[in-house]
Amino acid sequence: MSQRSEIHRQNLEKIFNPKSIAVVGTNNVKGTVPYDILFNILKTEFSGVVFPVSPGERSICSVKAYKYVIDIPDPVDLAIIVFPSQVCHMALEQCGQKGIKGVVIISAGFKEVGEKGLEREKQLLAIAAKYDISLIGPNCLGIINTDPLINLNASFARKMPEEGNIGFLSQSGALCTAVLDYARAKHIGFSKFISFGNKADISEIDLMYYLMEDEKTRVILLYLEEVTDGRALMKAARDVTRTSGKPVLLLKSGRTDAGASAAASHTGSLAGNDEIYDAAFRQAGIIRCDNIEEMFNIAIAFAYQAAPRSNKVAIITNAGGPGVLTTDAAIHDGLQLAKFSEETMREFRKSLPSNANIRNPVDVVGDARADRYNVALTGAFREPEVDGVFVILTPQSMTDIETIAREVVKVSKEYSKPVYASFMGEADVAPGVDILLRNKIPHYILPESMCRSFSRVFRFYRDLDTELHQQRVFSNVDHDSVQGILNEAIASNHLYLPEEEAARILELYGFPVVPEELATTPGHAATIAERIGFPVVMKVDSDNIVHKSDVGGVVLNVNSSREAEIAFGRIMHNIREAKNDAVVKGIQVSKMITSGEEVILGIKRDPSFGPVIMFGLGGLYVEVFRDVSFRIAPIDEIIAESMIREIKSHKILEGIRGKPERDTGCIKECLIRLSQLALDCPQIRELDINPLIVLEKGSGCYVADARLMLQPDNSKE
Amino acid sequence: MDKEEIKKRVKKVTAKVLEIDESEISDNSNFSFDLGASSMQSIMLVAGFQEEFNVEMDEQRSLDVQTVSEAADFISTYIS
Repeated sequence: MSQRSEIHRQNLEKIFNPKSIAVVGTNNVKGTVPYDILFNILKTEFSGVVFPVSPGERSICSVKAYKYVIDIPDPVDLAIIVFPSQVCHMALEQCGQKGIKGVVIISAGFKEVGEKGLEREKQLLAIAAKYDISLIGPNCLGIINTDPLINLNASFARKMPEEGNIGFLSQSGALCTAVLDYARAKHIGFSKFISFGNKADISEIDLMYYLMEDEKTRVILLYLEEVTDGRALMKAARDVTRTSGKPVLLLKSGRTDAGASAAASHTGSLAGNDEIYDAAFRQAGIIRCDNIEEMFNIAIAFAYQAAPRSNKVAIITNAGGPGVLTTDAAIHDGLQLAKFSEETMREFRKSLPSNANIRNPVDVVGDARADRYNVALTGAFREPEVDGVFVILTPQSMTDIETIAREVVKVSKEYSKPVYASFMGEADVAPGVDILLRNKIPHYILPESMCRSFSRVFRFYRDLDTELHQQRVFSNVDHDSVQGILNEAIASNHLYLPEEEAARILELYGFPVVPEELATTPGHAATIAERIGFPVVMKVDSDNIVHKSDVGGVVLNVNSSREAEIAFGRIMHNIREAKNDAVVKGIQVSKMITSGEEVILGIKRDPSFGPVIMFGLGGLYVEVFRDVSFRIAPIDEIIAESMIREIKSHKILEGIRGKPERDTGCIKECLIRLSQLALDCPQIRELDINPLIVLEKGSGCYVADARLMLQPDNSKE
Repeated sequence: MDKEEIKKRVKKVTAKVLEIDESEISDNSNFSFDLGASSMQSIMLVAGFQEEFNVEMDEQRSLDVQTVSEAADFISTYIS
């Protein structure tokens, strides 16, 4: 933990639980941010003392105002600065002189407005560092702590949210106001609500660690527009989930990406920002959500209900169609319908009408009232195999919606198993939904959302239980020689390494490389081919040619010395025709592996997350279907295995339609070696092993071709 | 018009717009930080200076001016 992070850890307690607050730069003009911030603090009956600081006013909202923060005679825990950006540094300087350690700067006009604003932000940071101040913002909505012992609404949100156990962190202030309005309508409560704006000083990482230790917070929600330090975010998420068991749900804007198209390698062009984010978040145990609705659907499941012990659920419905829809959705999301015991079915048979379906999904039939729901719910909760109950209701003329909602609340309180509900519809079911939500029964308009939310919760706790594995580090690598090759190439500004050198580097890192040699004459090619053994592949070797096939620089399946001599001549002729200015070093003659499956492995270095490892099947699968998986290095055996299993075409490697099973163990080892190479050699910008030819199980694999791009120097990482 | 005269008239306009006593205003008084000008009052100050000195000022640049002295310097560039 850095020194600043340690200071933040101490100061955040004062920021969220202050005994006294100065609102610096407030005024008497109603309907303005400086006024509303003070008014909101007073209106929500903050438990501590408030000091308005306004150079031009004697009092604001009937509270005595001070000209400067240093004029306040008592100690101050937290300052909320609402001055125009041009003078915030003066206010912050005085906060430092006053000994205030926690500051929230609401004002805009900093980094987000350009160079001048960035200068102002840097000035703030220097002052904060000088006085050991921890600073939230600038350019934010403010902070809220719903703890009744504190009651702090230091924001310009319209209303204080209900108390709850969701901690919300947002980079966007405007989104916060929309989220608060959405949540209020659904009785969703928050423990802390934090808008951190430009995150000049305190970042989402510091706040995640704070919420990890916050007793009032059970779920952490995070809205991000930019990831500044991807590796730190991953570490924080892992620490939070592993240490506290609290899930981190994330909404990251900017899914589209134009930058990937400029990349030189396959891996570079396939690994767009969003693919990297997806991989990183999954690896860190972060639950990524597509939109606000999904985020809160999952959040309330975590916040309101116990963790399911298994994925086996019971569905209770008053209509067949929705029961089937729910069943389909449950199966689709990896859940199972629990099998009821004879005892449970006997009870259902006794208490439900004869036309009811007593098996899972239980159909209590359209005219069901609360008593039938009671029987079905009680039976499902008591059934040992059931670890979650879904209650479906459609509003039919005889359906007593509110009574049934109260029955669901009453019965579920007697059991510790999670219960979710979907009262389908909108207007008629609204009073029942209100009862459910007020009583912390997660409700979903669509059963599909309900199943998806349960599934995400189940998977989170299941993955939490999986043990972390020790990273495997290979010792049979020649790190020094590789460093020598890379540094020499960079020094001579050869940032694209041809196949021969790329293969050499991979060989030094323990990768199985296809035997090959460089031929300079047709006769030389024939001699090499005889030595290696037929059939061979012949490829042009030139720094100026990246895509060899496109210029007729590759000949496959060369079966004799004579054919080798002819192929040499043909390739040289093709190059002269297509790229006359290319400097050709010679023709690579290599063993042709005929019976393997081609896969692609790669490295791309991301500025925020560091080295990203890619895996996919070669040819069409990668070119057309983009069927590839990504992970952030380092990767262990389990992660390597998951990379292979994640691609849709992985069954091809398992052996289908008479094809043999491939040596996936060898792919795993190559992926881990690649991860080690990427971490050991920050000079590597992008690397493609395309293809790696994978033979039958137990027979290994070969690197058949590779490309490697270097960074100009390490400082540009 | 010399700088001192400009400053004197800047203080007079400032006192009127911010409704404070002229004696509270020094050369180094910061309009927002020391005198409590809100964003609306800052715009009114710029308008007041334009009227007082009969000049058209760049509004964006004028809002960056923070103190009485800076205002006098800025206005003098228009008068000269």
